[in-house]
Amino acid sequence: MKKMSEMLRLFLDFLKLGCFTFGGGWSIVAQMQRIYVEEKKSITEEELLDLTSVARSLPGTMIGNVAMLFGYRTLGILGGIVCILGIIVPPLFMLSVIALFYTAFHDNTWIAAAMSGVRAAVVPIILSAAVGMVKGAFKYSPCIFVMLMTLGLYLFLHINCVYLVLIGAVSGILITEFYERRGDRK
Amino acid sequence: MTYLQLFWSFLKIGFTSFGGLSMIPLISSEMLSHNWMTAEEVSDIVAIAEMTPGPLGVNCATFAGIRTAGFLGAVAANLGVLMPSLTLCLVAAVFFTKFKEDKLIQHMMIGVRPACLAMVIGVCLTLCPTNYTESSGVSIPAILIGILDTVLLLKFKISIPKVILLSAVLGLCVYGWVIPFYY
Repeated sequence: MKKMSEMLRLFLDFLKLGCFTFGGGWSIVAQMQRIYVEEKKSITEEELLDLTSVARSLPGTMIGNVAMLFGYRTLGILGGIVCILGIIVPPLFMLSVIALFYTAFHDNTWIAAAMSGVRAAVVPIILSAAVGMVKGAFKYSPCIFVMLMTLGLYLFLHINCVYLVLIGAVSGILITEFYERRGDRK
Repeated sequence: MTYLQLFWSFLKIGFTSFGGLSMIPLISSEMLSHNWMTAEEVSDIVAIAEMTPGPLGVNCATFAGIRTAGFLGAVAANLGVLMPSLTLCLVAAVFFTKFKEDKLIQHMMIGVRPACLAMVIGVCLTLCPTNYTESSGVSIPAILIGILDTVLLLKFKISIPKVILLSAVLGLCVYGWVIPFYY
Protein backbone atom coordinates (compact mmCIF):
# COMPACT_ATOMS: atom_id res chain seq x y z
CA MET A 1 0.00 0.00 0.00
CA LYS A 2 2.83 2.33 0.86
CA LYS A 3 4.40 1.53 -2.47
CA MET A 4 1.18 2.40 -4.28
CA SER A 5 1.08 5.85 -2.75
CA GLU A 6 4.76 6.37 -3.59
CA MET A 7 4.01 5.40 -7.19
CA LEU A 8 1.16 7.88 -7.32
CA ARG A 9 3.39 10.58 -5.85
CA LEU A 10 6.04 9.86 -8.49
CA PHE A 11 3.44 9.90 -11.26
CA LEU A 12 2.04 13.26 -10.13
CA ASP A 13 5.55 14.72 -9.82
CA PHE A 14 6.39 13.73 -13.38
CA LEU A 15 2.98 14.85 -14.64
CA LYS A 16 3.87 18.29 -13.32
CA LEU A 17 7.37 18.13 -14.83
CA GLY A 18 5.78 17.14 -18.13
CA CYS A 19 3.81 20.38 -18.26
CA PHE A 20 6.93 22.55 -18.21
CA THR A 21 9.60 20.79 -20.24
CA PHE A 22 10.05 23.38 -22.95
CA GLY A 23 13.00 23.09 -25.29
CA GLY A 24 14.30 19.61 -24.73
CA GLY A 25 16.05 17.43 -22.18
CA TRP A 26 17.99 20.03 -20.26
CA SER A 27 14.88 21.75 -18.99
CA ILE A 28 13.65 18.61 -17.22
CA VAL A 29 17.06 18.09 -15.64
CA ALA A 30 16.97 21.68 -14.39
CA GLN A 31 13.55 21.10 -12.84
CA MET A 32 14.60 17.80 -11.26
CA GLN A 33 17.65 19.51 -9.82
CA ARG A 34 15.39 21.98 -8.03
CA ILE A 35 12.83 19.44 -6.80
CA TYR A 36 14.87 16.32 -6.00
CA VAL A 37 18.33 17.67 -5.22
CA GLU A 38 17.53 20.95 -3.49
CA GLU A 39 14.08 20.46 -1.95
CA LYS A 40 13.54 16.75 -1.28
CA LYS A 41 17.24 15.83 -1.17
CA SER A 42 16.39 12.35 -2.46
CA ILE A 43 19.27 12.28 -4.95
CA THR A 44 22.68 13.97 -4.97
CA GLU A 45 23.86 16.35 -7.63
CA GLU A 46 26.50 13.89 -8.87
CA GLU A 47 23.94 11.11 -9.21
CA LEU A 48 21.67 13.35 -11.25
CA LEU A 49 24.58 14.28 -13.52
CA ASP A 50 25.54 10.63 -14.03
CA LEU A 51 21.94 9.81 -14.80
CA THR A 52 21.79 12.65 -17.31
CA SER A 53 24.96 11.64 -19.12
CA VAL A 54 23.74 8.06 -19.49
CA ALA A 55 20.35 9.30 -20.73
CA ARG A 56 22.10 11.58 -23.17
CA SER A 57 24.35 8.93 -24.67
CA LEU A 58 21.56 6.43 -25.29
CA PRO A 59 19.28 6.59 -28.33
CA GLY A 60 15.72 7.85 -27.95
CA THR A 61 14.24 10.95 -26.41
CA MET A 62 16.45 12.26 -23.62
CA ILE A 63 13.44 13.17 -21.47
CA GLY A 64 12.06 9.63 -21.70
CA ASN A 65 15.48 8.21 -20.81
CA VAL A 66 15.93 10.51 -17.81
CA ALA A 67 12.44 9.59 -16.59
CA MET A 68 13.16 5.87 -16.94
CA LEU A 69 16.52 6.05 -15.15
CA PHE A 70 15.17 8.15 -12.29
CA GLY A 71 12.02 6.06 -11.93
CA TYR A 72 14.02 2.81 -11.91
CA ARG A 73 16.39 4.20 -9.33
CA THR A 74 13.49 5.23 -7.07
CA LEU A 75 10.97 2.38 -7.42
CA GLY A 76 12.27 -0.21 -9.86
CA ILE A 77 10.92 -1.10 -13.29
CA LEU A 78 7.34 -0.03 -12.52
CA GLY A 79 8.69 3.26 -11.21
CA GLY A 80 10.38 3.87 -14.54
CA ILE A 81 7.21 3.15 -16.48
CA VAL A 82 5.17 5.38 -14.17
CA CYS A 83 7.61 8.27 -14.71
CA ILE A 84 7.47 7.89 -18.49
CA LEU A 85 3.67 7.82 -18.40
CA GLY A 86 3.61 10.95 -16.26
CA ILE A 87 5.95 12.81 -18.53
CA ILE A 88 4.09 12.06 -21.77
CA VAL A 89 0.46 12.58 -20.72
CA PRO A 90 0.55 16.42 -20.90
CA PRO A 91 2.15 16.62 -24.39
CA LEU A 92 0.01 13.74 -25.68
CA PHE A 93 -3.13 15.60 -24.65
CA MET A 94 -2.00 19.00 -25.90
CA LEU A 95 -0.73 17.81 -29.28
CA SER A 96 -3.87 15.74 -29.85
CA VAL A 97 -5.99 18.87 -29.54
CA ILE A 98 -3.70 20.84 -31.85
CA ALA A 99 -3.60 18.03 -34.42
CA LEU A 100 -7.38 17.72 -34.47
CA PHE A 101 -7.84 21.40 -35.20
CA TYR A 102 -4.84 21.67 -37.50
CA THR A 103 -6.86 22.02 -40.71
CA ALA A 104 -9.06 24.74 -39.23
CA PHE A 105 -5.87 26.27 -37.85
CA HIS A 106 -4.15 26.11 -41.18
CA ASP A 107 -6.91 27.66 -43.30
CA ASN A 108 -7.22 30.73 -41.10
CA THR A 109 -5.29 33.55 -42.83
CA TRP A 110 -4.12 35.14 -39.56
CA ILE A 111 -2.81 31.88 -38.21
CA ALA A 112 -1.23 31.13 -41.60
CA ALA A 113 0.53 34.52 -41.42
CA ALA A 114 1.80 33.79 -37.90
CA MET A 115 2.92 30.32 -38.95
CA SER A 116 4.90 31.77 -41.88
CA GLY A 117 6.83 33.77 -39.31
CA VAL A 118 7.28 30.77 -37.04
CA ARG A 119 8.47 28.65 -39.95
CA ALA A 120 11.20 31.20 -40.58
CA ALA A 121 12.41 30.50 -37.03
CA VAL A 122 12.72 26.73 -37.48
CA VAL A 123 16.03 26.70 -39.39
CA PRO A 124 17.75 29.10 -36.95
CA ILE A 125 16.54 26.94 -34.04
CA ILE A 126 17.88 23.74 -35.57
CA LEU A 127 21.11 25.54 -36.49
CA SER A 128 21.56 26.73 -32.91
CA ALA A 129 21.40 23.08 -31.83
CA ALA A 130 24.02 22.24 -34.48
CA VAL A 131 26.31 24.96 -33.11
CA GLY A 132 26.01 23.37 -29.68
CA MET A 133 26.97 20.00 -31.16
CA VAL A 134 30.11 21.23 -32.96
CA LYS A 135 32.15 21.34 -29.75
CA GLY A 136 31.89 17.63 -29.01
CA ALA A 137 31.78 16.38 -32.58
CA PHE A 138 35.38 16.61 -33.78
CA LYS A 139 37.57 14.77 -31.31
CA TYR A 140 39.93 13.52 -34.04
CA SER A 141 40.46 15.21 -37.40
CA PRO A 142 38.97 12.36 -39.52
CA CYS A 143 35.64 13.21 -37.83
CA ILE A 144 35.41 16.16 -40.22
CA PHE A 145 35.62 13.69 -43.10
CA VAL A 146 32.89 11.54 -41.49
CA MET A 147 30.69 14.62 -41.28
CA LEU A 148 31.24 15.70 -44.89
CA MET A 149 30.72 12.16 -46.16
CA THR A 150 27.44 11.65 -44.27
CA LEU A 151 26.24 15.10 -45.32
CA GLY A 152 26.88 14.19 -48.96
CA LEU A 153 25.14 10.82 -48.61
CA TYR A 154 22.16 12.49 -46.92
CA LEU A 155 21.74 15.36 -49.38
CA PHE A 156 22.55 13.75 -52.72
CA LEU A 157 21.89 10.03 -52.36
CA HIS A 158 19.07 10.32 -49.76
CA ILE A 159 20.49 7.48 -47.72
CA ASN A 160 18.29 6.50 -44.78
CA CYS A 161 19.45 8.07 -41.51
CA VAL A 162 19.61 4.65 -39.81
CA TYR A 163 22.48 3.70 -42.11
CA LEU A 164 24.17 7.06 -41.61
CA VAL A 165 24.22 6.50 -37.84
CA LEU A 166 25.60 2.99 -38.39
CA ILE A 167 28.28 4.34 -40.74
CA GLY A 168 29.14 6.87 -38.04
CA ALA A 169 29.36 4.16 -35.37
CA VAL A 170 31.66 1.97 -37.47
CA SER A 171 33.90 4.91 -38.43
CA GLY A 172 34.06 5.91 -34.77
CA ILE A 173 35.38 2.49 -33.82
CA LEU A 174 37.90 2.49 -36.70
CA ILE A 175 39.10 6.03 -35.99
CA THR A 176 39.70 5.48 -32.27
CA GLU A 177 41.31 2.10 -33.00
CA PHE A 178 43.72 3.81 -35.42
CA TYR A 179 44.60 6.63 -33.05
CA GLU A 180 45.04 4.35 -30.06
CA ARG A 181 47.39 2.00 -31.94
CA ARG A 182 49.43 4.96 -33.12
CA GLY A 183 49.49 6.22 -29.54
CA ASP A 184 50.85 2.86 -28.38
CA ARG A 185 53.75 2.91 -30.85
CA LYS A 186 55.00 6.30 -29.79
CA MET B 1 -1.81 -1.84 -40.79
CA THR B 2 -1.20 1.88 -40.49
CA TYR B 3 -0.76 1.40 -36.72
CA LEU B 4 2.00 -1.08 -37.35
CA GLN B 5 3.66 1.20 -39.91
CA LEU B 6 3.50 4.14 -37.52
CA PHE B 7 4.92 2.04 -34.71
CA TRP B 8 7.74 0.75 -36.93
CA SER B 9 8.63 4.18 -38.33
CA PHE B 10 8.82 5.77 -34.90
CA LEU B 11 10.68 2.78 -33.53
CA LYS B 12 13.34 3.43 -36.17
CA ILE B 13 13.30 7.14 -35.36
CA GLY B 14 13.65 6.41 -31.63
CA PHE B 15 16.52 3.96 -31.92
CA THR B 16 18.62 5.98 -34.34
CA SER B 17 18.34 9.45 -32.85
CA PHE B 18 19.87 10.95 -29.76
CA GLY B 19 17.20 13.24 -28.43
CA GLY B 20 15.72 16.60 -29.27
CA LEU B 21 16.41 18.31 -32.55
CA SER B 22 18.69 15.55 -33.81
CA MET B 23 15.45 13.62 -34.40
CA ILE B 24 14.19 16.00 -37.04
CA PRO B 25 16.11 14.65 -40.04
CA LEU B 26 14.78 11.17 -39.27
CA ILE B 27 11.23 12.33 -38.64
CA SER B 28 11.29 14.41 -41.79
CA SER B 29 12.48 11.56 -44.03
CA GLU B 30 10.01 9.03 -42.54
CA MET B 31 7.06 11.42 -42.83
CA LEU B 32 7.86 12.38 -46.41
CA SER B 33 8.58 8.85 -47.65
CA HIS B 34 5.20 7.57 -46.35
CA ASN B 35 3.39 10.69 -47.56
CA TRP B 36 2.16 11.25 -44.01
CA MET B 37 3.11 14.91 -44.04
CA THR B 38 4.34 17.55 -46.47
CA ALA B 39 7.65 19.34 -45.92
CA GLU B 40 5.63 22.37 -44.88
CA GLU B 41 3.75 20.38 -42.26
CA VAL B 42 7.01 18.98 -40.91
CA SER B 43 8.23 22.54 -40.38
CA ASP B 44 4.96 23.48 -38.68
CA ILE B 45 5.10 20.51 -36.37
CA VAL B 46 8.68 21.27 -35.36
CA ALA B 47 7.61 24.79 -34.45
CA ILE B 48 4.49 23.59 -32.62
CA ALA B 49 6.47 20.90 -30.83
CA GLU B 50 8.99 23.50 -29.68
CA MET B 51 6.26 25.82 -28.38
CA THR B 52 4.52 23.11 -26.38
CA PRO B 53 6.11 21.22 -23.49
CA GLY B 54 7.29 17.64 -23.71
CA PRO B 55 9.87 15.67 -25.67
CA LEU B 56 10.04 16.65 -29.33
CA GLY B 57 9.82 12.99 -30.35
CA VAL B 58 6.62 12.49 -28.36
CA ASN B 59 5.08 15.65 -29.78
CA CYS B 60 5.89 14.68 -33.36
CA ALA B 61 4.71 11.10 -32.82
CA THR B 62 1.41 12.35 -31.41
CA PHE B 63 0.85 14.80 -34.23
CA ALA B 64 1.77 12.37 -37.01
CA GLY B 65 -0.20 9.55 -35.36
CA ILE B 66 -3.40 11.56 -34.96
CA ARG B 67 -3.17 12.93 -38.49
CA THR B 68 -2.73 9.54 -40.09
CA ALA B 69 -4.67 7.12 -37.88
CA GLY B 70 -6.43 8.95 -35.05
CA PHE B 71 -5.73 8.65 -31.34
CA LEU B 72 -4.72 4.98 -31.49
CA GLY B 73 -2.24 5.93 -34.18
CA ALA B 74 -0.76 8.47 -31.77
CA VAL B 75 -0.48 5.79 -29.08
CA ALA B 76 1.23 3.40 -31.53
CA ALA B 77 3.68 6.08 -32.68
CA ASN B 78 4.46 7.08 -29.11
CA LEU B 79 5.07 3.50 -28.09
CA GLY B 80 7.56 3.28 -30.96
CA VAL B 81 9.42 6.47 -30.14
CA LEU B 82 9.62 5.58 -26.43
CA MET B 83 10.79 2.01 -27.01
CA PRO B 84 14.50 2.85 -26.52
CA SER B 85 13.68 4.35 -23.10
CA LEU B 86 11.56 1.30 -22.22
CA THR B 87 14.15 -1.28 -23.30
CA LEU B 88 17.74 -0.06 -23.79
CA CYS B 89 17.51 2.52 -21.06
CA LEU B 90 16.01 -0.02 -18.66
CA VAL B 91 18.96 -2.31 -19.30
CA ALA B 92 21.27 0.65 -18.78
CA ALA B 93 19.50 1.48 -15.54
CA VAL B 94 20.24 -2.04 -14.34
CA PHE B 95 23.89 -1.84 -15.36
CA PHE B 96 24.07 1.84 -14.53
CA THR B 97 27.74 2.38 -13.73
CA LYS B 98 29.08 -0.43 -15.89
CA PHE B 99 27.61 1.05 -19.04
CA LYS B 100 29.10 4.51 -18.65
CA GLU B 101 32.65 3.23 -18.88
CA ASP B 102 32.02 0.95 -21.85
CA LYS B 103 34.83 1.62 -24.31
CA LEU B 104 33.08 0.35 -27.43
CA ILE B 105 30.07 2.64 -26.93
CA GLN B 106 32.35 5.62 -26.34
CA HIS B 107 34.28 4.84 -29.52
CA MET B 108 31.10 4.49 -31.54
CA MET B 109 29.90 7.87 -30.30
CA ILE B 110 33.04 9.54 -31.66
CA GLY B 111 31.84 8.73 -35.17
CA VAL B 112 28.12 9.06 -34.48
CA ARG B 113 28.42 12.66 -33.27
CA PRO B 114 29.78 14.11 -36.55
CA ALA B 115 27.21 12.03 -38.48
CA CYS B 116 24.49 13.53 -36.29
CA LEU B 117 25.79 17.01 -36.98
CA ALA B 118 25.80 16.30 -40.72
CA MET B 119 22.15 15.23 -40.60
CA VAL B 120 21.14 18.34 -38.68
CA ILE B 121 22.89 20.56 -41.25
CA GLY B 122 21.33 18.50 -44.04
CA VAL B 123 17.81 18.99 -42.73
CA CYS B 124 18.37 22.74 -42.41
CA LEU B 125 19.36 22.88 -46.06
CA THR B 126 16.36 20.84 -47.19
CA LEU B 127 13.95 22.98 -45.15
CA CYS B 128 15.20 26.28 -46.62
CA PRO B 129 13.32 26.06 -49.96
CA THR B 130 9.94 25.56 -48.20
CA ASN B 131 10.45 28.00 -45.36
CA TYR B 132 11.93 30.99 -47.18
CA THR B 133 9.83 31.11 -50.31
CA GLU B 134 6.24 31.98 -51.15
CA SER B 135 4.22 31.49 -54.32
CA SER B 136 5.87 34.51 -55.96
CA GLY B 137 9.46 33.44 -55.20
CA VAL B 138 11.97 34.14 -52.45
CA SER B 139 10.39 35.69 -49.38
CA ILE B 140 12.50 38.63 -48.14
CA PRO B 141 10.58 39.09 -44.84
CA ALA B 142 11.02 35.38 -43.98
CA ILE B 143 14.77 35.65 -44.57
CA LEU B 144 14.97 38.78 -42.42
CA ILE B 145 13.05 37.07 -39.61
CA GLY B 146 15.38 34.08 -39.97
CA ILE B 147 18.50 36.27 -39.65
CA LEU B 148 17.04 38.09 -36.64
CA ASP B 149 16.21 34.77 -34.95
CA THR B 150 19.70 33.42 -35.58
CA VAL B 151 21.25 36.47 -33.91
CA LEU B 152 18.82 36.29 -30.96
CA LEU B 153 19.47 32.59 -30.44
CA LEU B 154 23.22 32.49 -30.87
CA LYS B 155 24.35 35.93 -29.72
CA PHE B 156 21.83 36.82 -27.02
CA LYS B 157 20.88 33.28 -25.95
CA ILE B 158 17.16 34.10 -25.98
CA SER B 159 15.10 31.00 -25.13
CA ILE B 160 13.47 29.02 -27.94
CA PRO B 161 9.79 29.56 -26.90
CA LYS B 162 10.41 33.33 -26.80
CA VAL B 163 12.02 33.35 -30.25
CA ILE B 164 9.09 31.38 -31.66
CA LEU B 165 6.58 33.75 -30.10
CA LEU B 166 8.42 36.76 -31.50
CA SER B 167 8.57 35.20 -34.97
CA ALA B 168 4.84 34.48 -34.82
CA VAL B 169 4.10 38.12 -33.98
CA LEU B 170 6.43 39.34 -36.75
CA GLY B 171 4.83 36.93 -39.22
CA LEU B 172 1.38 38.12 -38.20
CA CYS B 173 2.34 41.77 -38.73
CA VAL B 174 4.19 41.28 -42.01
CA TYR B 175 2.08 38.65 -43.77
CA GLY B 176 -1.28 39.46 -42.20
CA TRP B 177 -1.15 43.23 -42.26
CA VAL B 178 1.76 44.99 -44.03
CA ILE B 179 1.83 42.91 -47.24
CA PRO B 180 -1.98 42.81 -47.85
CA PHE B 181 -2.04 46.56 -47.08
CA TYR B 182 0.42 47.51 -49.81
CA TYR B 183 -0.59 45.05 -52.49
